[in-house]
Order: sequence, then C-alpha cells, then structure tokens
Amino acid sequence: MNDKTKTKTSSISKDKKIEKLVFWLFLAPALFSFLMVQIIPFMIGIYYSFTNWSATAQISIDFVGMKNYFDAFQDPSFLYATIITSIYTFMNIILVNIIAFSLALLVTSNLKGKNIYRAGFFLPNIIGGIILGYIWQFIFNQFVPKLAAAVGFTYLSENLMLGNSNTAILALVIVSTWQYAGYIMMIYVAALQNVPKDLLEAAQIDGASAWQRFRNVTIPLVAPAFTVTLFLTLVNSFKQFDVNASLTNGGPSTMFMGKAIKGTTLLAMNINDTSIISLNTAQAQAKAIVFFLVLVTFSLIQVYVSKKREVEL
Amino acid sequence: MFKNANNKIIARNISEVMTFTVMIMFLVPLFLVLINAAKTNNEIISAPLSLPTDWSVLIKNITTIWSNPNLRYSQALVNSFVITTFSLMGITIFSAMAAWVLLRTKTKLSTAILMLFIAAMVIPFQVVMFPLVKWFGIFQSITGIQMLRSYTGIIIAYIGFGSSLSIFMFHGFMKSIPHEIEEAAYVDGCGKFKTFFLIVLPILKPIYVTILILNGIWIWNDFLLPMLVLGKGTPVQTLPLAVNNFAGAFLVSWDLMMTAILMALVPIIVFFLAAQKHIIKGMVEGSVK
Amino acid sequence: MKKIIVFISMLLVLVSLTACAPKEAEQVVITFKQNKPEIDDALQAYAKAYEAATGVKVNAVSCGGGSCTLGDMLKADYAAGEMPDIFPIDGPDSYKQWEAIIADLSGEDWVDETSVEYVVDGKVVGFPVAVEGWGMAYNADLLAKAGIDPKTLTNYAAYMDAFVKLDGMKAELGIDSVVSMTAGPGMYWVTAHHNFNSLLSNGLEYNDLTVANNILAGNIDDTRLNEYADWVDLLFKYADKTVLTTGNYDSQVGAFLNQKAVFLHQGNWVDGNLTDATFKMAFAPHGSSTSDTDGIFVSAPAWYVVNKDSKNYQAALDFLNALVYSDLGQKYMVEDAGMIPAFGNISLQPKGQLSQSVQAWTAEGKVYSWNQYLFAGEFRDNVLGPIYDQLAQGAVTADEFKALLKTALMEAK
Repeated sequence: MNDKTKTKTSSISKDKKIEKLVFWLFLAPALFSFLMVQIIPFMIGIYYSFTNWSATAQISIDFVGMKNYFDAFQDPSFLYATIITSIYTFMNIILVNIIAFSLALLVTSNLKGKNIYRAGFFLPNIIGGIILGYIWQFIFNQFVPKLAAAVGFTYLSENLMLGNSNTAILALVIVSTWQYAGYIMMIYVAALQNVPKDLLEAAQIDGASAWQRFRNVTIPLVAPAFTVTLFLTLVNSFKQFDVNASLTNGGPSTMFMGKAIKGTTLLAMNINDTSIISLNTAQAQAKAIVFFLVLVTFSLIQVYVSKKREVEL
Repeated sequence: MFKNANNKIIARNISEVMTFTVMIMFLVPLFLVLINAAKTNNEIISAPLSLPTDWSVLIKNITTIWSNPNLRYSQALVNSFVITTFSLMGITIFSAMAAWVLLRTKTKLSTAILMLFIAAMVIPFQVVMFPLVKWFGIFQSITGIQMLRSYTGIIIAYIGFGSSLSIFMFHGFMKSIPHEIEEAAYVDGCGKFKTFFLIVLPILKPIYVTILILNGIWIWNDFLLPMLVLGKGTPVQTLPLAVNNFAGAFLVSWDLMMTAILMALVPIIVFFLAAQKHIIKGMVEGSVK
Repeated sequence: MKKIIVFISMLLVLVSLTACAPKEAEQVVITFKQNKPEIDDALQAYAKAYEAATGVKVNAVSCGGGSCTLGDMLKADYAAGEMPDIFPIDGPDSYKQWEAIIADLSGEDWVDETSVEYVVDGKVVGFPVAVEGWGMAYNADLLAKAGIDPKTLTNYAAYMDAFVKLDGMKAELGIDSVVSMTAGPGMYWVTAHHNFNSLLSNGLEYNDLTVANNILAGNIDDTRLNEYADWVDLLFKYADKTVLTTGNYDSQVGAFLNQKAVFLHQGNWVDGNLTDATFKMAFAPHGSSTSDTDGIFVSAPAWYVVNKDSKNYQAALDFLNALVYSDLGQKYMVEDAGMIPAFGNISLQPKGQLSQSVQAWTAEGKVYSWNQYLFAGEFRDNVLGPIYDQLAQGAVTADEFKALLKTALMEAK
C-alpha cells in the first residue's frame, strides 16, 4: 500500500510539474511579445511623464516630479476634451452596439445574400485616414445639404453639420459608427453562430415563440459576446483619434469658459496636440497616463458588471 | 398553416429588401471611392459626385502606381503579405495558446496576467510610441537581434499589440467549450499539446477566423507602427508606407490615393469572402456528441 | 500533424527573420529628409543623378502633409539613434527642439548668396529651402472684365470698393463669391498664421518687429488692431460661407482655379494646384490698413539644418552646396521641385505664375517679412485660430471678434 501511495503522489507532482511547464510554454510567446512592445515601453513612458522629456534633442532629461500632472489638470482644453469625449463615448456605445447587433441578427438569419451583406457591412472598417475624412466631409458639406433641400428639411439644407461644434460631434458619432459597426457585428456573428441549433429546435418543438426563443436561449448564450463588445466599444470610443482628425480636425471652434477653443477635440487628439502643437511631449505623456487610469477604471467596472450579468443570464 | 408560411415568406422578403437597402447606404462612401478612382485629380475636386467619363483612367492610375520606380509597389505588396501573414499566424496561435492556459489554470497569477493583457488595450499608443523605438534600439544593441528596420521587429510588434484583443476574445469564447470534451480527450490518453491543437483549436475555428479578419484589417492598412519600426524610405516597406507620398503637403493626388485604396481592398475582400465559410458552422455544434 | 506544421513554420520564421539584417554599406550615404511629398519623384530622380555624379548615395525621404508628420518621424529617428544628416526646421519652435544637434554653417559659401538664411545669435544655422510669398492672389482676367486695376488695391478702402463692385457683378462674372477664403478646422494656418501676419508686418520695414514686440509686451496699438479686424471682417463677408467654415485646401484653391472666386487668400505654393488654370493671375497686397501697404509677404518657409553629429558631415555640406552651385542641383530645385530659389546666383525661374509674381515683387523690393513666428505655434493654433473660426461661423459679431482678439493678444507671451 505504501508503494502505491508513493507512486501516486510522485505521479501527481510530476503531473503538476508538467502542467506548470505547459502553462509557461503556452504563455511564453504571447507574453514575451507583449512585454517587449507594450509593458516595457509603457514603463519607460511612465518614467518620462515625471521628467521634462521632449523626444527631441535634449542636453539632459531632468526629473520634474508631478509638474506635468498638475499642469495637465489645470489645462482647460483637457477638461473640455474629457467632457466631450465622455458624451461622444456614451452616444457611440449605444449606437454602435444596437446597429451591430441588429446587423448580426440579419446576416445570421435565413436571408439569401447574407454572405454578401456580411462583407458589405464590414467593408467600411477598411477605409481610414485622410480618404475617410475627405469622402465624409464631402458627404456632409455637399451631399447632405442637397438631399435635405430635396426633401424639405430646412435646418440641414441651410446649416452644415460640420460647421457647428455641436452637430459636428453628431457627425463624428455617425461616421465612427459607420466605420466600426461592421467590426463589432463580426463578433456578434461569431457568438450567434455559437448558439447550438438543436437547442433552438428543441425550444421550438416545445412551443416557444420566436421572441421567447430569442430571449431565453439566444441572449444568454450570446452574453459573453456582450462583455467583449461593450468593452471594445467603450475603449475604442474613448481612444478615438483617426476619425476625429480626418473628419473634423479638432472641430469648429466653440466658446468654453470665456475663451474660443476647438470644439471637437477628443482626448486622444488633445494629447496629440499637446505633443505636436504645444510641443510639450512630457505633459502629453502625463495626460495619457491619466487617460489610461481613468479608462482602465471604467472598463474594469464594465467588465466586472458584464461578467456578473453573464452568469445571471 | 398555409397562411403562416405565406407570412413568413413576405416577412423574409421585406427583411431581404431592408437589409439590401441598409447595405447600399453603408457602401455609398465606398462607391464614391470607386468612381473617383477613375477620374483625374481636377475632376475629383470639382465634381466628386459625377460618374467617371472614362473608366480607362482607372487602369492608367493602376499602371502609374504599379510601375513607379520610387514606389516599388510590387515589393511593398510582397512585404505587406509576408508581414501580415506571419503576424496573423503568430497572433492567432500564440493568443489561443495563452488564453487557453490562462483559462484552464485557476490561479491568482493567471487571473492577474489576463487582467494585464486586457488592461493594456486601454494604453493610448502615444505613450508607448517613442519609448518602443528607443527600447527596440537598446535591445538590438544588447542582443544583436535586429529589431528595427527588420521583419523580426515589426512581426513581434504586431504580435505584442494584437495579443491583447485576441486573448480577450479567445478567453471569452473558450469558456463555452464544455469541460467534458477536454476530459474525454485526457481519458483517451491525449496530452495537453494534442488536446489543444487537435480538439480545442478546431472547435474554435469561427472565433479564430474572426480574429484573423479583425487583426488582418488593421495590420494590412497600418501606417504608424511600420513608420516607427520599419522606417520610411528604408529597404523594407509596406503598402501604406509606399503610397504615403500621394498625400502631399499642398498637392494631394486624390486620384492615385483612391486607386491605391482600391488596390489594397482587393486582397482583403478576397480573404474575407474565402474566410466567411469557416465562420458559418457553429462552434460547439455536434462536438459534445 | 497540424502541430508539426505550425512549429516548423515558426522555426522558418525565426530563421528567416534573424537573417534579415541589412548589409553594411561601404559607400558614403547621407540621409536627407524633407516635408513636401509631392516633389518626392523629382527628389528621387535628383538623388540618383547626384549619386551618379559624386558617388555619394543620398537616402532621400519625404514626409509631410496630412498623413505623415515629419516631427514625429524625426523624434522616432532620434529615439532609434538614426537622426538624418539633413532635415528641415520651420521656425523658432522647431529650432529649439533640435538646437542641441544643429550645426553652425556660418562659413559656407552660399551664405553670401542669400538674404533669408536662418540666423540664431549671429550664427547661420539654416539653409533656406526656397523663397515663398503670399498676398491676395487675383484673377487678372476677371478683374479686367470688371474694370478694376489691381495696382490700385493697396489699402482697405480700395478693397472695399472693389469687393462691393465685384459682388454686384457676380452673375456676370460667373463667380460664387469675391474671395476664396477658409477659416475652419484644419485651415487655421491660413487665418492664424498668414492673415494674422498682416497685423504684425504689413506696411513695416522688412524685419521690423516693433508691432509684434509691442504686443508681446502688452502695448497694443488699438487703431492698427481695429483696422486689421475690419480687414478680416471684410474678407469673411465676401467669402463663400461653405468654403469659409468647412472648406479644406482643395476646395479653397479649387474655387479659384475654376474661376468661382476672383481672389484667393494663399501663397505661391498653390502653383502646383493651378497647373490647369486658363487665366492670368498675380499677387496684390493685403488691405489691412487704411494707409497704403504696397507689398506682399515674402520669406523662406523652412530651412535645412545639418546634424552636427553626422557621420558624413562633409558629404552633407557638399550636398547643400550642390543645390546652389551645380547645374543639376539648380535644375532640381527650381524647375523640377518648382521652388523659387533663395540664392542670388541662380538665374532659373519657376514656371508658375504666382511664383513669378513673387519674384517680381521681390525684384522691386516691395516685400514685408513673416513675423508670426514670434508667437508660439500653440498660441496661433489653439488660441487665435478658434477666434477667427467664431467670426467665420457668425457666432460672434465683428466687435466681439475685436474684443476676443485683443484679450488673447494681451495674454500672449
């Protein structure tokens, strides 16, 4: 009996050793690349935020403590960017997810052209940069007024959406939804495909209506996808830069706290401007670290809440 | 029952028309890119909405781009292919591996590492941009492995940046793979490696094809990371780097830019349509049996 | 089986990657970066010709415009330890960024051939890339049709009369607006950099910085400021609203090219966009004052500086010399890249009408300096630009505009 337990315990510890080896082996390539390009540079970047680093030729990089952070908090444009980014993010999350989920439902149903539709909805994600801005500026500045005039919608035919910072934010939401909905749709599609057909058939045989099948079978099984998509839309909206730069360039000006400032400069652009226009790269780092902390807090809360609801559903 | 069937067909036809209309609306901007690629620059600026008068201009533009000696388009195309392919392979396989062990190992450490990967998605690129270049330079002088201006560096960079999202997604979808499948494999004598590559990975096909597509798009069109790691005007150029000069400081060659976008779109569309059939089958369908 | 394939491919990847290190070059190589991508083809051709003539390989890279930020590229180069040998700076802001590695070029021969080299503390540090100028570009044919003599357009009153007359003849002339002007996002450089300079230097001696220095010290000449604000208001009033508020560079210049506007508020760099123009054009002064200001604003837009830590320092100096003294270099600079040469010894002329107009004004000595650089780029882009934009949107009246401008200027350091 002693021999048996001995071999059992030694084989268990050997199993544990193998498991540990496999754990690190499987993790190593991704972890190595991740450390190399995200963690280590991020640590360096954090260090820079406490100095007067400029990324250009300097005689020496000097430690300045919390100065960049204090300056960042006293910058009214940073405050404005935070407010406007939060509003934009809120609108974007709702719009992108509603549209993406609806589209996903459409392209996973029994429609004939669903492969083409899937590709069609996804294609906008491919267009970016200055071409995106050029095309959409043209649409908002020339096409929309003409269309509005044709249908008698006078506000839009006489006022350009990109000419006023409030409507320009709406334009930003429209364009970024257009660009991103297809991407999120793909994730919902993968989740919807995951719902086992036999479960749905069984529910149908049991007499459940389409809505009941949807509510009690589909939604709970798609729940993990919601965590992923809500997180992605939250983070991506908050980090929005490309569409912002190419469509509105920081936007038409507006009055804030008695001064005229650029009206649609979201946080990422504000950080970029701090580095490129204000030539204060170290302060831009500090702003970016603050941005990171704020967003990480929001998203961890979101993921935690979503995961809880996942289990409940 | 006859009435029900009829209603169903009518409902489906309405859905079909609706979806088609919505898709057309979605594609209007792309249509604008298409028709403007077949015009000269002045035509684009003065009449962006009009249909092209001469479609052969598109062929001319394509030829101009392809044969320009300074662009070395064909070389950049090959480079983009190589870099994208290897990066995608790396991202998908390594992220799936990592996500799987992080999921199946229920320790505090694995949760912490997972959280680290996810939290990194929040890091704004500006923070790491220049430190990354500096670090790569330091690394290559210490170890002698060429990181900057080489395939190695850019592929590792893409794997590093792409792993966060991919691990997050794999992790989310792997949870719905029942334990029983893996247990069955262990009982049958499969080791961890075999279980992962022969059982788990095939089940995840729709997910990893989705991840291939999502990552593929941004890597193919990415300008900033190649500009930093590969450099502009260096021997190894990707497509976005090569066609960047069309956007001048004052004179933007919109005709060539639109054409370049269309040319870059073709491989993406082909890849997407080919990959779609792998997403169609459900993940767990039939596998429990 | 799949596992084996995967691992073999990974191995292949690793092997091929480590083998991809670039070879050491025996030949002298200099890296030259500039910020106008549209001349890249001409530049690459010149680089090849230069190498054939001198044996020195020039690694020429263009980065600029909307999709490549030269500033970021230089920072990345610096971080990678691969700072170029020659690169451009565009004023005090960028000079300060790279001051620590910029070489003193005072002893170079070309210094005597130019009057717009970049000087700091008595040292010559910058090689002028070109001469550029802006004023009110006008369509000579349309003005003739309206019976207006451009030579009379030297003050506010003359412009006011001209604008009113032209506005009344819109249908006859086939134009949408008298002036093609932008003030919206992405175009703040037109208002807050260029137009703003009228306040600072119109009518003054070349390089007379008193107005700018007074403003920085808190002494604002109200008369001058009010006359200037009236000029801005006049321009906006007679501009096409769409182009003014949301127009981009192409729509602004396009309106002038297609003869939908008589005047264009831009500089001679638009020649590249106006190659298809079918009418005569030239520059007229800005009318930002009630008294005559007979001149346009001319200076160098950027300067090439040499990296003093360059491994091939002499080769870099030789490259710059070749631009000024060799036939090949002169031809590239003036004819292929379309730039007005900043050097007196070069007799070649660029083809564009507006560039030739700038040269004409310069020959007569009727030039004013670019003084906007005394104000930080941050101030002009983040503080002034939005103020002009408010006036353009019609969100503030002309008087409120004056007040906002004055407040902002009082706080400028």
